[in-house]
Amino acid sequence: MAKLSLMFENRLVKEVPIGSRPVGIGRSPDNDLPVDNLAVSNHHARVFFEAGRLVVEDLDSLNGTFVNDLRVERATLHDGDSIWIGKHHIKVDASGDVPIAVDSARRKPAPTINETMVLDTKQRRDMLQQAAAMGERSPFAGRLKMPTLLVLSGNSDQKEYVITSKLAVIGKSNLATVKLKGWFKPEVAAQINRRDDGYYIGPGDKTPLVNSKPIQGPVRLNDGDVIEVCGLRLSFAFRE
Amino acid sequence: MQIVSGGVTDVGRVRTNNEDYFRIVAPLHLFVLSDGMGGEAHGEVASALAVETLVNHCLEALDNPAVTLYGEQEAAWSEKTKRLSSAAHLANKKIFDSAQEHAEQHGMGATLTATWIEGSRLSIAHVGDSRAYLLRSGTLQQLTSDHSLVAEQVRQGILSAAEAEESQMQSVLMRALGSQAEVEVDAEEHMVMARDILLLCSDGLTRMVIEPEIAGTLQSEPDATKAAQKLVDLANDRGGSDNITVIVVRIGAESKGWFSWLRPGARKHAAGNGTAGGR
Repeated sequence: MAKLSLMFENRLVKEVPIGSRPVGIGRSPDNDLPVDNLAVSNHHARVFFEAGRLVVEDLDSLNGTFVNDLRVERATLHDGDSIWIGKHHIKVDASGDVPIAVDSARRKPAPTINETMVLDTKQRRDMLQQAAAMGERSPFAGRLKMPTLLVLSGNSDQKEYVITSKLAVIGKSNLATVKLKGWFKPEVAAQINRRDDGYYIGPGDKTPLVNSKPIQGPVRLNDGDVIEVCGLRLSFAFRE
Repeated sequence: MQIVSGGVTDVGRVRTNNEDYFRIVAPLHLFVLSDGMGGEAHGEVASALAVETLVNHCLEALDNPAVTLYGEQEAAWSEKTKRLSSAAHLANKKIFDSAQEHAEQHGMGATLTATWIEGSRLSIAHVGDSRAYLLRSGTLQQLTSDHSLVAEQVRQGILSAAEAEESQMQSVLMRALGSQAEVEVDAEEHMVMARDILLLCSDGLTRMVIEPEIAGTLQSEPDATKAAQKLVDLANDRGGSDNITVIVVRIGAESKGWFSWLRPGARKHAAGNGTAGGR
């Protein structure tokens, strides 16, 4: 069965299963998942199943509900997602539901609609509306959060970098976003790439550490992660 | 920048005609790929029209930079990016007009992924579900967004990436050239560095071969054309359900290093590079 785990500073506070009834989240004690913090509204958000999908809905809270760093009014949840409310986060465990078999070695040449087709504008509108009704992830306009790297220690040309491009490089290269100074520093020490679901750090000529652990291939960055590479310590954060 | 490229296209194992089309204009570092759609032979017409229109518009603009720009361009873009975006708008118009004129061509369309490298700047214009990737230090990053229904659903959080791969709706495009009188073109710019590898491919590759395999092949085969051929072979080994087209572009070190003139082939390459393409 799907469940939500309320975490505070990596400690488990409370776990609740998600049944057919919506799970209320908020500061008021009548919530299924009460969160005792002033940054949390009385009735902050709720999580429920809709058309076989797990959906989180913000209840016009003051400080907002975030799914994997993106502020949402309403979003479909997937196994492993994190909901952030104030300083607490809620881990989503949907693994008890119908598991999705991922055959990673080989893809099925599946499509039943074999001929490529283009949707005309009306069809497109209808299909998107249908999709939206199932719960969409709509970031708040006007309060866009920019991914930022703060220099905690080390030798760099700035104290803070806002990542604006899809491909950002940490290295000695002239094209690098975060320019490293000094002899024997690599052109590309590490790279941060924007993908559809967030920002990923990948190795360059060095393997960066994320929260003191060396990465194995690209990993998604979460708010507050600490990156170490070539003597530089950076904190990754989303800032308004 | 030293740039070496190679392209391969193949009909695949299931289809009887190849609706993909590509062109490499090596002296300009211009790389263009299109995947056509439409009954009979009209997909072939659409993809060829898309690529040839784009290339001609870019060549024309080199001779005369005052040639009309089509569609909307952002002021901050470089000349090359503006021109690529303009060419994509023009290609859309040509295909749309042709389909309006010839009743039998109704419904034909094409994807278009075009890249142009000037110095260290990479310009991209893109419509549809063909892809451009950049391999840098072992990490393969998709530069383009797929304009397909499933990709849109992933961006909205409705589908997970794994669900999208299993979806039966993969062939449904939200945008393509030639289906409407006006089209929205994605245009963007990136910086490329020595040792980067750029890959352009049609969905015939990415439906059959997963990204880690693509990255592995690009890293293990230093010859651009052979790497493209290996990827096509891999897609065919998996069933080759669609036409497969791959362009591999390897970006080399700048040749102004101290001992660069000693490096074998440093100058050889600059000369013998012409145009390639076809289907």
